[in-house]
Amino acid sequence: MFHNNQIIEIRGHARGGQGMVTAFEILAAIFSKAGDYEVQAFPFFGVERTGAPIQAFLRISKNPIQNRSNIYNPHLVVLFDEGLLDQVPVFDGLHPDGAALVNTEKPVNEIPRLPGGLKTLFTVPATSISIEKKLGSKALPIVNSAMIGAVIRILDGDISISKEIIRDEVPVKHEENAMAAEQSYNSLQEHNLTPLKQEPAKVTAPVVNSPDEVPFAPYWSKPLSLNKTGNWRVFAPQYVNRTPPCTHYCPAGTDVRQFVKLTAERKFAEAFETIYKHNPFPATCGRVCPHFCQQNCNREGFDDHVNIGAIERFLGDFSFDLKRKPVPVTRKEKIGVAGSGPAGLTAAIRLRQMGFPVTVFEAHSAAGGMMRVGIPGFRHPEDILDAEIERITGEGVELILNHKITIRDIENDFSAVIVATGLHSGSRMNIPGEEHAVDGIRFLYEAKINHNNFNVKRGEEIAVIGGGNTAVDVARTLLRLGGNPTIFYRRTRNEMPAIPHEVDEAIAEGVRVELLSAPLKIDRNTAGLEIAVTRMKLGDPDSSGRRRPVPVEGSEIIIKAGKVISAIGQTSDNHFFSGNHLSVDEGRIEFRSKIPVFCCGDLSGGGTITEAVGSGNRVARQVNAILYGIPYTPDPVKNDMVMPNEMKFIYYRHSLRHPNPVIIKSDWHNDFSEVVQGLSEKETVAEAIRCLHCGDCYLCGNCFNYCPDAAIYLENGNKLHIHYDYCKGCGVCAYECPCGAIVMK
Amino acid sequence: MNRYPNHTKKVLHGNAAAAEAAVVCNAEFIPAYPITPQTTIVEKIANKVADGKTGATFINMDSEHSVFCAAMGASVCGVRIFTATSGQGLFYAHEVLHAIAHSRLPVVACNVGRPSFPWNIWSDQTDSLAQRDTGWIQLYGESAQEVIDSVIQAYRVCEEVNIPGLVVLDAFYQSHTSENVWIPSADLVNQYLPPLKSSELTIDGWFSKAYGGLVPPAQYDKFNHHFWKEMSRVEDLINSTGKQFKTVFGREYGAVEAVNISEKTKQILVTLSSITSTAKGVLGGHKETGLIKIRLFRPFPKKSIFEAIKNIQDDCSFIVIDRNYPGEIEGTLMQEMKRVLYGRKHPVYNVYAGVGGRDVPPDTIEKIIEKFRKKEVARDEVSWIDLE
Repeated sequence: MFHNNQIIEIRGHARGGQGMVTAFEILAAIFSKAGDYEVQAFPFFGVERTGAPIQAFLRISKNPIQNRSNIYNPHLVVLFDEGLLDQVPVFDGLHPDGAALVNTEKPVNEIPRLPGGLKTLFTVPATSISIEKKLGSKALPIVNSAMIGAVIRILDGDISISKEIIRDEVPVKHEENAMAAEQSYNSLQEHNLTPLKQEPAKVTAPVVNSPDEVPFAPYWSKPLSLNKTGNWRVFAPQYVNRTPPCTHYCPAGTDVRQFVKLTAERKFAEAFETIYKHNPFPATCGRVCPHFCQQNCNREGFDDHVNIGAIERFLGDFSFDLKRKPVPVTRKEKIGVAGSGPAGLTAAIRLRQMGFPVTVFEAHSAAGGMMRVGIPGFRHPEDILDAEIERITGEGVELILNHKITIRDIENDFSAVIVATGLHSGSRMNIPGEEHAVDGIRFLYEAKINHNNFNVKRGEEIAVIGGGNTAVDVARTLLRLGGNPTIFYRRTRNEMPAIPHEVDEAIAEGVRVELLSAPLKIDRNTAGLEIAVTRMKLGDPDSSGRRRPVPVEGSEIIIKAGKVISAIGQTSDNHFFSGNHLSVDEGRIEFRSKIPVFCCGDLSGGGTITEAVGSGNRVARQVNAILYGIPYTPDPVKNDMVMPNEMKFIYYRHSLRHPNPVIIKSDWHNDFSEVVQGLSEKETVAEAIRCLHCGDCYLCGNCFNYCPDAAIYLENGNKLHIHYDYCKGCGVCAYECPCGAIVMK
Repeated sequence: MNRYPNHTKKVLHGNAAAAEAAVVCNAEFIPAYPITPQTTIVEKIANKVADGKTGATFINMDSEHSVFCAAMGASVCGVRIFTATSGQGLFYAHEVLHAIAHSRLPVVACNVGRPSFPWNIWSDQTDSLAQRDTGWIQLYGESAQEVIDSVIQAYRVCEEVNIPGLVVLDAFYQSHTSENVWIPSADLVNQYLPPLKSSELTIDGWFSKAYGGLVPPAQYDKFNHHFWKEMSRVEDLINSTGKQFKTVFGREYGAVEAVNISEKTKQILVTLSSITSTAKGVLGGHKETGLIKIRLFRPFPKKSIFEAIKNIQDDCSFIVIDRNYPGEIEGTLMQEMKRVLYGRKHPVYNVYAGVGGRDVPPDTIEKIIEKFRKKEVARDEVSWIDLE
């Protein structure tokens, strides 16, 4: 029927972003090239935005086209989005012999609002074809090439030339677009309709009409709410609560952002409870934890990370004034715990809080595990640890000291046992003369618990081997005993596992550090010890990702020292398993006994208090689950962490970090007082206020201010909402959100 | 297919044609700032610069005022300048337009017409017509082909008289309308458009010059008189170089285009830009109606109009269609036509049509023709045809 027309006029309806304007331009190019036609393709935009209804026009003629106006009586109406049928009078003015092409998969009788006189309807599943070819996204498939194929078929155009031109004209996915056109060319369906006498109901949705009368200058006096533009939207913004890096990286699982926020609001008791839910040792961790939270704080990319450790320490110390009551025993299963370190006591208190009776057995004369025997008092005063353990026993956990138990001792009296005996034996260096070295972990225990000074003489040169916290603690203890300690570490400062500020403090106190140095052998002679030390260089990365130290040939030197202390790592003594060497993982382990056996803490990996605490939390849940036959699922790993590049730092003010005060003395001999001090209440609150609130709306109001459609409102003065009737999905709010708490979905 | 030798045929919209024109004319410096509906000109030029299709320096400036200042500064260095803007951007640059013209710098720019206030982005010529007294040559066309051709011709004429030129596109109906465009080869353009010659104003790198100093009353009019002498040549130059255009490119252009005008003509439509095409389509059904398309608006082509209407009778009326509202009684084109027809007996009617982008379909043209065919219409009636 089109061949009889001198000029073919086509009108298209789509939403901005579906590619219709480009499609019509490509159709013009196809007919210009393939048929030497005069062509004219142009859009009519309203206010251009993705999702808004738009029109495009196409004229094809053998003669010059002497008309540059819109098309009112099209021979063909092309509908890219069937959703527009209810919003736009797409068939208005259709030529009496005209046809319509609709992108749909519906049968004809389910397509609404077809004009009564329509004789020919074409349908094509352009959306499915485009999704299949991965053109655009599922939320916004770009259907233009598929629609081109259908129009070419209707107009008897040449599909192979069309494919060539599509390949040339589209910016990306050239082949996929060409294939979509061909597939749609082949799957076009023609339906010959019987004209109806009665016209279907007209579109009642608002159509842009010119009012007859206008005021003498334009203004809008009606509520803006009358203009509902929500149906333009393809992607919608949503307020979300995402995981901040501090919380993400806390091995104990503490909601770090929340306790910092509560501290900023001076709600110290609530802030403490937030920590205590996951970690019963805030005062301890506030002092000695490496604070993965603050190491990964997004503020690092702005000025300086928030001193979360100091906030935790303040809350921990504050909490000793709070009173807690034990929950009643509601379960009959008795739980035994071997080891009163951070993992054992955490598991114990969790189970106690669930209602189980719990007994903790400790080999030493005082509870606390490595917190007690491995960390010197100048880092962690004993009264602080005592108070935290008293709180746990105060909640009803039974603690039995001086009992180094084995599985056989308790399997008859308990329903389950948790082994959290830690790593209290020093690792071997495997070098000749090793027997002349003192085990570092043993040294710390003896020095702290038994006040053994190892006959350290004033000014005695002592070599400490290792680069972890134990090595640093040993060196600093030796310094206080009057010695002259030197740490020998085989890698560089970057690889040192010790907490960096501890190393700084040790050096400031007078500890010397020899990097890239490793002992080869130790000899004893009458003058003392002689240690052969070789220089090292860094080679290829090992399995831990750290670069492997390699000895430098011929670089050996001899160091004279009164003592050598080795602190290169710890292992388990396997006493609990009656000497059976087991390789254990966290959680329930396979072990022949009358009751289920669980492992946590250093024994199952980790190496820091916070990791031990997290491990205790998880194992307590697992114990409960297994005793009651509930399926145990580990906490899901959240992948929604707010990355530094999502932070809009321009919306934050710079502020100085409040560092912990550090006591500086020229001589620490016989002085075991605490070196690092806490912050005052005022400083702590000021530090908490520095939090950037990554992933958590803090009512900054940016979204409210920037929303071009005033679609965001504040409810009760404390919660922002998006009014989806008006949100066009422009994404400005998500872009301007300083803390990544709005995502487009 | 090979209607025009040494051309490449492409389907392009008017904005893309403007970008092609900047490249084939070898514009060397292109400062620009995007504004709807001009944006795609800037985008296409930026792409061409990025793809190495032209060696031009493209700078995205911070405003249109800066754009035209940069154009001015670069032009005194003796390089060929191109830029483009629209509506508010052109208004913002207004004072610099005077400065460029009366510094005698042959800058060529495209303007995609849109009105000022009430706020609107659609087709309307209020912006460029409001710049009629800035001293810029103004050319209007109706197709994408005319955009590229007018830019080429504008460089030719502007560089000869050292006066800047504005090539105006209708928003959407020309700027965004894709159609067949014949792009001449660079060799062909070089045959027509000689390289930019330096003038005594050009900075040569050895002797410093300063521009924009105070000019006292004893000299001021002399500069204006220079300008006036050159501006007086422009209409003839457009016609003569428009004829030469045909010998090189195969397409001819004049200051005006007359359609269907003879001694029998009873009424003549006077149009600018894309409305012309639609009107031409309607004329076939009206033997006594003719049309004058004003292609050269500044200077207003009095001689060419007289030439076009030399055979008409005194009772032949003029119907001037204004797609602009200058805040006066009569539209801008009407004012110009009235001074051309001063002392003649023809009735001259004014119609506002398509203002603010309202579509002007053939029906509107028919309505205009019918309305003014009736004898009872008052001679000074101003019609708002779309509101009647």
